[in-house]
Amino acid sequence: MSGIDRRSFFRIVAASGAATAAAGCGPTAEKLYPYVSPPENIVPGVAVHFATVCRECSTGCGVLAKNRDGRVIKLEGNPDHPVNAGGLCIRGHAALQGLYHPDRYRGALVDGKFAPWESAEKIVGDKLAALVRGKQGGKIAVVTGLETGSLARLLDEWVKALGARPRVAYEPLGLEAIRAANRASFGRDAIPEYAIEEAGYLVSFGADFLETWLSPVGHSAAFAKMHALSAGKAGTFVHVEPRLSMTAANADQWLRNAPGTEAPLALAMLKVIVDEGLVAPGADARALGGAVQGIDVAAIATQSGVPADTIKRVAHDLAASKTGLVLGGGAAVSGSNATDMLQAVNLLNVALGAVGKRVRFGGDTARAGTYADMLALTQAMAKGEIEVLILGDVNPVYTMPPKSGFAEALAKVPMVVSLANRPNESSAKAHVVLPALHWLESWGDHVAAPGVVGLMQPAMGPVEIGGKPVDGRATGGIFLSIGRQALGLSAEPGKGGLQTPTFAEYVKAEWTATARDAAKGKPFAEFWEEALRRGGIWREAAAAAVALRPDALRVKPEAARLEGDGTHALLVVPSARFYDGRSADRAWLQEAPDTMTQVAWDAWAEIPTETAKRLGVTRGDLVTLTSPHGRVELPAYPVETLHPGAVAVAMGQGHAYPGPYAQARGLNTGANPVTLLGASPEAASGALPYLAVKVAVAKGAGRRALAVPQATFDQDHREIAQHIGLGAARELELRGKPPEHASHPSMYPPVKYPDQRWGMTVDLDRCTGCQACVVACVTENNVPVVGREQVAYGRDQHWLRLERWEEGPPARPENIFLPMFCQHCGVAPCEPVCPVYAAYHTRDGLNGQVYNRCVGTRYCGNNCPYHVRRFNWFYYQWPSPLDLQLNPDVTVRQLGIMEKCTMCVQRIIEGKDRARDAGRRPKDGEIRTACQQTCPTQAITFGDLKDEKSEVAKLSRSARGYHVLEELGTRPAVTYLKKVVRDGAAKPAAGGHKA
Amino acid sequence: MSVGTEPRAVTWADVNRDVERTVGMPGNTYFAWMCLVALTLAAGVVAWTYQIYTGMGAAGKRTPQMWAMYITTFVFWIGIGHAGTLISAVLYLFRAKWRTSIYRGAEAMTVFAVMTAGLFPLIHAGRMWFAYWLTPYPNQRYLWPNFKSPLVWDVFAISTYLTISVVFFLVGLVPDIAALRDRSTGIKKKVYTVMAMGWEGSDTQWKHYRRGYGLLAALATPLVLSVHSVVSFDFAMALVPGWHSTLFAPFFVDGAIFSGFAMVLVLIIPMRYYFNWYPYITDKHLDAMAKLTLVTSLVLTYFYACEVFTAWYSGDHFERASVFAKATKQYAWAYWTMYFCNSVVPLILFWKKARTNVVILYVVSILVLIGMWFERFNIIVPGLGHDFYPYTWGTYVPTVTDSTIIVGSFAWFFILFLGFIRVMPSLSIVEVKEVLPHPLKHAAHGAHHGGGH
Repeated sequence: MSGIDRRSFFRIVAASGAATAAAGCGPTAEKLYPYVSPPENIVPGVAVHFATVCRECSTGCGVLAKNRDGRVIKLEGNPDHPVNAGGLCIRGHAALQGLYHPDRYRGALVDGKFAPWESAEKIVGDKLAALVRGKQGGKIAVVTGLETGSLARLLDEWVKALGARPRVAYEPLGLEAIRAANRASFGRDAIPEYAIEEAGYLVSFGADFLETWLSPVGHSAAFAKMHALSAGKAGTFVHVEPRLSMTAANADQWLRNAPGTEAPLALAMLKVIVDEGLVAPGADARALGGAVQGIDVAAIATQSGVPADTIKRVAHDLAASKTGLVLGGGAAVSGSNATDMLQAVNLLNVALGAVGKRVRFGGDTARAGTYADMLALTQAMAKGEIEVLILGDVNPVYTMPPKSGFAEALAKVPMVVSLANRPNESSAKAHVVLPALHWLESWGDHVAAPGVVGLMQPAMGPVEIGGKPVDGRATGGIFLSIGRQALGLSAEPGKGGLQTPTFAEYVKAEWTATARDAAKGKPFAEFWEEALRRGGIWREAAAAAVALRPDALRVKPEAARLEGDGTHALLVVPSARFYDGRSADRAWLQEAPDTMTQVAWDAWAEIPTETAKRLGVTRGDLVTLTSPHGRVELPAYPVETLHPGAVAVAMGQGHAYPGPYAQARGLNTGANPVTLLGASPEAASGALPYLAVKVAVAKGAGRRALAVPQATFDQDHREIAQHIGLGAARELELRGKPPEHASHPSMYPPVKYPDQRWGMTVDLDRCTGCQACVVACVTENNVPVVGREQVAYGRDQHWLRLERWEEGPPARPENIFLPMFCQHCGVAPCEPVCPVYAAYHTRDGLNGQVYNRCVGTRYCGNNCPYHVRRFNWFYYQWPSPLDLQLNPDVTVRQLGIMEKCTMCVQRIIEGKDRARDAGRRPKDGEIRTACQQTCPTQAITFGDLKDEKSEVAKLSRSARGYHVLEELGTRPAVTYLKKVVRDGAAKPAAGGHKA
Repeated sequence: MSVGTEPRAVTWADVNRDVERTVGMPGNTYFAWMCLVALTLAAGVVAWTYQIYTGMGAAGKRTPQMWAMYITTFVFWIGIGHAGTLISAVLYLFRAKWRTSIYRGAEAMTVFAVMTAGLFPLIHAGRMWFAYWLTPYPNQRYLWPNFKSPLVWDVFAISTYLTISVVFFLVGLVPDIAALRDRSTGIKKKVYTVMAMGWEGSDTQWKHYRRGYGLLAALATPLVLSVHSVVSFDFAMALVPGWHSTLFAPFFVDGAIFSGFAMVLVLIIPMRYYFNWYPYITDKHLDAMAKLTLVTSLVLTYFYACEVFTAWYSGDHFERASVFAKATKQYAWAYWTMYFCNSVVPLILFWKKARTNVVILYVVSILVLIGMWFERFNIIVPGLGHDFYPYTWGTYVPTVTDSTIIVGSFAWFFILFLGFIRVMPSLSIVEVKEVLPHPLKHAAHGAHHGGGH
């Protein structure tokens, strides 16, 4: 054996082995090319984060898109962004399912058939050119959602250049009434900023600010600052709504009023404030007194069903707090009197001295159009005045009431162009579809608030489906291109305007202008890169002083008028999961149960228990709701808390998505409550009134069982979700000792944790039930979607579930939201029963689960008292390209094995690795779980329990801390902090109701 | 036992002939039954294959009932397997002579019941192809099973029990097989020759055989107590309300013997009829079996009372709620079926005529089997359905797949049993002869009585 040593031997063996392996590979190996020239910023296996702006609703939260190997796998709130400060809502997370939607248009369509992009664009361009040439630009109409910043400017420039009809920016939840009221009260057509965090006493008339209203993530954070017990202080929140919405469930006192009586109630409160002489200094008490002349509190109490002494007490406390703030809005108060109602709210804020302090008017930003504008356009379309209609990311066929005649009018437009990137009801009727790229693939910017401009950059290239990237362009790019074709221009760099070659350059040009005042002498390149890195620029906007206009004092104390002779007022409420319906094609959102009802998938009609009893229907029995305008049939969900004179249906379901995935996945269930509404707008604001009709409720034929994973809302005295009075909590915070946790003798020696013991705390006083953590967990941990039947049968796979528990009388319960996930018990019942050590205790305190070792006896699942272990009953699938979203750091689990929350072990490992590379221990707060990261109210804290100084260790010693099912001696690593309830506030507010 | 009071006095020669007769070519009825059972078994196999292919979701399991009918039926069959050992080993050691004519059938039942039960851990496992990981075998990764887990104890308990039962069964067969060997030809003779292990019936052989058999009986006896105790630990060691109880071991053992006797009755009553074994299996045998059934039923009722009492007396909210839910919620029908079948119906056996009336006895036995299946069902399914965490409370709904597999397991048992009675002596020639008058000592009784069958 001379001449060959051990090393050379291995070299030869390895080389020949590799050659054999390479030769043995089939055609699949062809894809395994390494990058010849690696794309910038992409290192295989290392995630890159791109800052951009979430466009799932018009709020514009900053997000960081986590890109792994060229594809975005997760979105997280941008911690630097002033709107959301790191939080992200449930819909924001689910944006990825829009990005990777299997039904995404692969390219341009002409008359429903695939066409090369250029030819499709040419058809539109030629038509536009013909109209422009014939001076018939007015026959061109553009409808988009609320666009701001560069795109808005480009669109307006485009419309002007072509002489087209003014663009309609249509947002179904468009807040037209707030602007109309502010116009009337203060002469400002704007939506102010509400400093909820500075309020000591908050009253909301119907505004679901924790769910969909204005800026739910930002509001949630502000609400937690204002409301959660901290340093002995906690504000009070009173919510007025006929239905116990999630926002109402977070209120210290929920006033259930008769539908539509918010305006009189607000005026009654104002009357009390004026009468008691509590009007803030600086406000004109005499003028306000004039405004409430003739208001009869007792009569309003009878009318609204809110007892007079409650009105008086709330009004008194609100004014006496000196830090009162009143919010109004949301679909619940969007009746025929919406503008009046909001003017009354303005008067209240004036009386409280809140305007200018907690209600701040800045520069006017986003200018959404109104529903009335859409109606006008519809009429023009019906009359044949529109030759070309370009629909941006809007779906009016679904969101507008059928009585508006939009669908019929659409059929009369010779050329409808849709820029939707996934098929929806409106794009299905378009002649030409030019799919716009997803916002995660596009350049752009978004003005979230005066001074807050988020910058959007592509976080990845266009999604590949079947090996080919989808053929799409940015919305701005499409307008630039067809605009040039219409005007016969050519793309020329540096010329500006429509001649800017790409939308990216257009944005950059806009930002060059911004840089002149914002860059403060920095070179543009540096300013630009910094803005890209940070996600935008934010500056303090100067607050504008506003004064109450004298003629704004005349506010009619009238309740909303409801059309029809039905028995129940119909409440069409926006859905925290689907918004106005635009997010309903995401299976993640369908599978995450609605917080209050815990219904996953499908739509339902909430009906009062009294009505349910009278009709003889139980949960899941079909009921029909008939209004003067339509009829829907939905499974009933009897609710004890709903006003007896109302029924409620959430927006967002009842789609007719034409895509094959949407149909196979069952995304088209339920019914659209908007079909029950009339077409006429509210006169003063031009908004579509969502509280407008009375419906007749009748028992339908048959049943459709709802998928409700929570078996009961009654804790059966098990003290799973606990609460404590504010007084007692304060006392404990000042003097209390940490509670002694139950200790049980054990035959085994105590587990030693040499390095860390990871643990968590969940502050139930901060949890609002928004479910963002649920979907963040799904995204991070490759949790499959199992579908309606499986959820209904107790086979949901969510590692983290958001439970709602009721305490007290069923009609007026105290609601406690409790995120439940693996408790990582110190003495875990799941571990000893596993015959093969698949469930085992790690040295840093996690309950590990070795997927490869699991045989699937499911003994651990039985023995877990929290039932947080999930079994893979089937092979769960991710139809392409949804599989591109999968997190490569987390195993996709096989059939027949157990899984559960790992406390994001992959994030722990990443953090530990990072610390080790830097030669240190992980810092407190450095490692954050997905649920913790996204929580808008920061209710969840994760860290090392062994480190006495860590945040989690401090919180777990809180006097409010407890362990769920502590008496079992499982010694969980998760400590819950009791919810703080206001003493005496839980008293029933008596729902007076006239038959 | 004496057969002097029987209508027909049998001789040693009768015994040989009556037993050999059962081993011959069967009739059409037998084949019809065999077809039915085989088809049912085939359906079960198809259902299991489907379940392996689709996943455990094909069975109706869910959160919180991660266990359901498979473990129910597993415990049921383990229980059935108990009476055999009790009759063959314990009664042998106590020299209870009435056991001789029924023990062979009971022993076969034991072996087949354990073989049936042994299928269920496989059927039940999410990845059955890795079920061998539960056994301690040397492997390169030095991975052992978790000896703290009751499921690993199960593996040992059941494999031990199966081994001992099979050995005991085969050893007991040796002299009888030798008798068949001597009278058969062809392939049969070859098989019997192997199984008879060179038995000649010499004095030395008998001496060793007796001693060995006695030792095996002594070895098997503790298993009667241990196996079902260990199976009960699957529940008792868990945290679930209604499971976590020190009562479980004796409770399960008694229930097992109770159901085992019922199964023996279900099997021997038709065998006596078809094989015309009235001289060997007499009303006295039935009476003795019925008495034991009654006693075990009374003991079981006591345990039921204990269970409820403990739940109430403990003051433990979870235990109380669990019992209350079992008795009143969605599974109340199963709960009361169990009480009716196991505690009420057997009371009829206080009546002597019922103990010897074949029809009553048969109906009682069937009801006891149903009741005992539901007893295990009630522990598992409603017990898990209303445990600590109200969020996940739920109702298990059986599917076609799991029901077919359960029915298929019965077919598997019966196909083994039906096969056995046609190829093996299902009545112990040797031991029955032991209790008959010796032909040489009582030559006067030598006359043949051939009539009556």
